Amino acid sequence: MKSTAPVNCRSVNFAAGGVATPADAALMMQLGADGVFVGSGIFKSSKPSVMAKAIVKATTHYTDAKIIAKVSKNLGEAMPGLSAKQIPPDQLMAGRGW
Amino acid sequence: MKIGVLALQGAFAEHIATLEKLKTEAIPVRLPHQLEGLDGLIIPGGESTTITKLMVHYKLKNKIIELAKQGFPIFGTCAGMIVLAGELSSAGGVKPTGVMDIKVNRNAFGRQVESFESEISIPAIGKKPITGVFIRAPLIESVGKEVEVLARLSDGTIVAARQGNLLVCSFHPELTDDTRFHQYFLDIVRGKI
Repeated sequence: MKSTAPVNCRSVNFAAGGVATPADAALMMQLGADGVFVGSGIFKSSKPSVMAKAIVKATTHYTDAKIIAKVSKNLGEAMPGLSAKQIPPDQLMAGRGW
Repeated sequence: MKIGVLALQGAFAEHIATLEKLKTEAIPVRLPHQLEGLDGLIIPGGESTTITKLMVHYKLKNKIIELAKQGFPIFGTCAGMIVLAGELSSAGGVKPTGVMDIKVNRNAFGRQVESFESEISIPAIGKKPITGVFIRAPLIESVGKEVEVLARLSDGTIVAARQGNLLVCSFHPELTDDTRFHQYFLDIVRGKI
């Protein structure tokens, strides 16, 4: 993604939703986000405080692979994902998709 | 001329864009070695707790204090002003660098909904007022005798000041098209004023 508008004449774009690891946050920044909002990715991880600090650092140093790798160690379990296949049919919002 | 913009968090992209508009090379600074070879540094607005914590973690704080004491030009806007403050009246755990003889009150105007714009007269940059964008802004409660007050709100609140190589303002000059306050900083860097 390449923004064509002058940077101070455009809306700031924050990425949110499903960001569960420092690498996820860095990827959002690399794709052109100005910042990242993380809620469940922190609160549903096994060590929320440690995960929060690591995601902040990965967002700041989003192009620095060494720092992203370093902060990604010893974080405990990230927010678990839930596949649509695992949800019982009576709890699905819609029957479409997979 | 190369100007660094502390890019740990906050409005660094907007400062870089303003410097580029002034045909000045802007370097994002996230690690100490990126401070080398610069002629000046901008510390942007943002979240002062996050910025100061990351400055300590990535060993930028002491390096910036050292540079400031050597006469290296630094421009702090909003949270950047908090970072440069000698003292905070409402620190909330934030530890500033202490390099400038000003006492700053964080979030002085209230919460996000109290953010506002105001036309401000800054004689040092010209007769035409500048539009000050105040976003959960800090204010300067008092200044030391080495500090020159550059701008006040109509009620007397100090919102911009200079102490030699150090320049600060409460508002966000990088969020408007008016580049005069950045130009003023570049003139300090060039040693013109």
